[in-house]
Amino acid sequence: MKIVIAGAGAVGTHLARMLSNDRQDVVLIDADEGRLFRLGSELDIMTLVKQPSSIQGLKDAEVNRADLFIAVTPNVSENLTCAMLAKQLGAKHTVARVDNYEYMKPESLELFKNMGIESLIYPELLAAEDIKASARYSWVRQMWEFNNGELLLLSVKMHDANPIGEKEISNKENLLVGHTLKEIGMAHGHNFHVVAIKRDGETISPYGDEKILPRDLVFFMTTKENLGEIRHLTGKDDYPAVKNSLIIGGGKLSVRACWKLETIHDGIKLIEPDRKRTEELQSLVSPKTMILEGEGYDMDLLNDEGYGNMEALIALTDNDQQNILACVAARRRGIRKTIAQVENLDYFDMANDLDIGTIINKKLIAASHIYRMLLKGDVDNVKMLTIGNADVAEFVVKPGSKVTKKPVMDLHFPYGVNIGGMSRDGKSMLVSGATQLQADDKVVVFCIDNTLKKLDKFFK
Amino acid sequence: MINWKLIAKIMGFLLFIEAGLLMLCQFVSWIYDEGVKVFSPAIVLALVLGVVGVLLGRHAGKKMGRKDGYIVVSMVWVLFTLIGMSPFLLDGHVPDVASAFFETMSGFTSTGATIIDDLDAMPKGLLFWRSLTQWIGGIGIVFFTIAILPAFGVGEVKLFAAESTGPLHDKVHPRISVAAKWIGGVYVMLTLLCILSLMLCGMPAFDAVNYSLCTTATGGYGTHSALIDDYYHSPAIEYVLIFFMFISGVNYTLIYYTILKGKVKKFFSDAELKAYLVIVLGASLICTLVLVLVDSAQDVEASIRHSLFTVISLQTTTGLATVDYTVWPVQLMPVLLFVMFAGASSGSTSGGFKCVRLSIIYRVLKNEFTRILHPRAVTPVRMNGNIVPTNVVQMLLAFVALFVCSLFLGAFVLALSGVDPNDVHPNFDYYEAFGIAMSSISNVGPGMGYYGPVHSWAILSPVAKFVCSFLMLIGRLEIFPIIILFTRGFWKKG
Repeated sequence: MKIVIAGAGAVGTHLARMLSNDRQDVVLIDADEGRLFRLGSELDIMTLVKQPSSIQGLKDAEVNRADLFIAVTPNVSENLTCAMLAKQLGAKHTVARVDNYEYMKPESLELFKNMGIESLIYPELLAAEDIKASARYSWVRQMWEFNNGELLLLSVKMHDANPIGEKEISNKENLLVGHTLKEIGMAHGHNFHVVAIKRDGETISPYGDEKILPRDLVFFMTTKENLGEIRHLTGKDDYPAVKNSLIIGGGKLSVRACWKLETIHDGIKLIEPDRKRTEELQSLVSPKTMILEGEGYDMDLLNDEGYGNMEALIALTDNDQQNILACVAARRRGIRKTIAQVENLDYFDMANDLDIGTIINKKLIAASHIYRMLLKGDVDNVKMLTIGNADVAEFVVKPGSKVTKKPVMDLHFPYGVNIGGMSRDGKSMLVSGATQLQADDKVVVFCIDNTLKKLDKFFK
Repeated sequence: MINWKLIAKIMGFLLFIEAGLLMLCQFVSWIYDEGVKVFSPAIVLALVLGVVGVLLGRHAGKKMGRKDGYIVVSMVWVLFTLIGMSPFLLDGHVPDVASAFFETMSGFTSTGATIIDDLDAMPKGLLFWRSLTQWIGGIGIVFFTIAILPAFGVGEVKLFAAESTGPLHDKVHPRISVAAKWIGGVYVMLTLLCILSLMLCGMPAFDAVNYSLCTTATGGYGTHSALIDDYYHSPAIEYVLIFFMFISGVNYTLIYYTILKGKVKKFFSDAELKAYLVIVLGASLICTLVLVLVDSAQDVEASIRHSLFTVISLQTTTGLATVDYTVWPVQLMPVLLFVMFAGASSGSTSGGFKCVRLSIIYRVLKNEFTRILHPRAVTPVRMNGNIVPTNVVQMLLAFVALFVCSLFLGAFVLALSGVDPNDVHPNFDYYEAFGIAMSSISNVGPGMGYYGPVHSWAILSPVAKFVCSFLMLIGRLEIFPIIILFTRGFWKKG
């Protein structure tokens, strides 16, 4: 597939990296010479130093042969202009990044379609949705839904056995840590499936003898009904959905987050230092949100406002360091859910290690949203999402293929492949070693390190 | 961190390619019923080492760093040469290791300097192997592999960066493996056209194939020791070779755009091509004039033909010869040395300094003069309307310095190592040493004085042969990828 990306900012760069690793034909346009020079010597892509909205630039990038045109420059009007131009020049599908909520309304879609822009992407809105989801399932790091939400893939952080210097956050015991998968299967049945473990920055494919250790990030595959059981087993029972939270920073993302959270929250407090902005905010959010004028690090203010009783702290200022510190401090005070916005990707991994509950990066969210959009559109592609060095793919079992011949445990899949669940006749279920797959089953597979392409022969 | 496992794996795959190439030569030997089994040990060696490499590289990490790219590229050229020299040694036409290494390196770097005095006595299989090494080396070993393998897997960008020539890299397709296939296609097409044209001009099939492989690679090996004019007496063949040498010196990306995309305007407005044409035509004109005026023994047509052939052959760094240019009037020697140094276009199979660099340097100089008169003028360097980034210009100036240093150092060591005093040409003149160094580093083939197109370089001492091989290698890979391996910073951790 030929993909033209306009704008080599964080979103464009991240997308280019994902797509070129996927062996797509990527052309990246940006007016900044230096940025492209570095990328071009690192990624297998074509770079073009041109203003993205220049017609000659788009022609040089051969947008007429592009299957997808993605406009992700920082400038909204430039995005719209170049997406429209690209469409008129013959690009099959166009995506533009915007930052105006009005544009995202369903009634605007037709308008944009007529202008030649098929999809819009609004990173703040996507990030707000992520914030809402992580407030609802506050004990889950991340969750992905398959088959209309019946089949779930979720990642859960295992507690430290002895949290040092931290106030005991949970008094429930984690029933999984210290046990091998075999023991867990024996003790708790087969209502969930551990498909991968992320330990010390590396994703491993677990087998029966693998022990779950403290600080592991464990990926579970389960059905909707069994979500409660995982919560119980991981000792996160006292993590009900967050009902009140404190938001630090009153930027655009905070407003969107308020809108989303207002539907599931009892109360929100929002702290913003700038008086003028607080006045603006009054008209933007509903009365459910209380707006406070002050700094996020003003402990007197926070204590006055019942800091200790807050269920969640969401730090969304433009300052990454401040966000991270606010979350670390909140963890120490026993606030159980912390969400930090970290825009600098270099801080991203570091923040992950600091045990901040959820880290929001608008650019990554936008890039992976576009990526998923792309995967859905491409019928040949079975890949649904990519987490680190792992791919999650959906295969439809062909009649007479290798997998229909034997139960799963006798198939000898390559190392790094783990079948999570499947749906048969519209019903979702988990796959165990004894499961016999049938034709037309839809199977969700977790593959580590490019093992994906080795699977074709099993399913075809 | 150097990813040795991945390096082993890639080297393994590359060695399989060499084994395949050697099998092709074995096949040629078999067709001509020569019965020589000189290729079998090399094939077995390549296969065994290939398997070892692939086995060592199991579970290799996928991450390829910049350093890994340089190590793979420089190691593969040496390893290919070490394995590829064994047929010469086993056959017995090449007496010692230094000579065999020289001959093979001269092949892979598409230099074309030879130490074989009597080519006509060589078995056809070996002659074909010489030509094939040039053809593969001309486009680049790694490039060739990327082009023929469906997907190389990892690190194409880094390998490509380490092997491709010229300061600016233009891609014809977003993905290197696809781009390599297109450029490879252009290369094959040129070679086939050359074979066809030569056969139409009456060259025997085997000669036509070999000369074509060596011409499009701008290598310069042949199948006969005699000069082309003396052997074939055919101006038609010479004109065909002139044409194909010239075309092979053009940037292949440009050829691709012109022929397959129909962008003829882009072709004629290309700054590098203009520089290339100006130098070729200018030097040919000078040679013709001098030959006609000073050396009036020849007729005008022959003077033009020989001038064109010699200038294009030396500038594209092919090194084929119709006449012995070393007996030309001495006034022409600086001109010939200059075209040897200049080389043809970047992104072609030719060696040397490359016209694009000369063109950029010309613009830098012009800018400097402008700046003297207008100290506050902002003067970017433009090539084809695009601004050349300052770091590219800086890299280029560093390349000039390194090129000149290598050239003089090479000439100095060659002059020290000398020749066998009992041989036919016991004295080693300074200009001969300089000519050999220039010819080696520019991958031309023939040098100056005794070491011109008529004689082989067999009388050089073994040390000199290794020095020449080294110069050829650094010349082919444009110096930096090899020299960087000898820096302390490269091997420092972190």
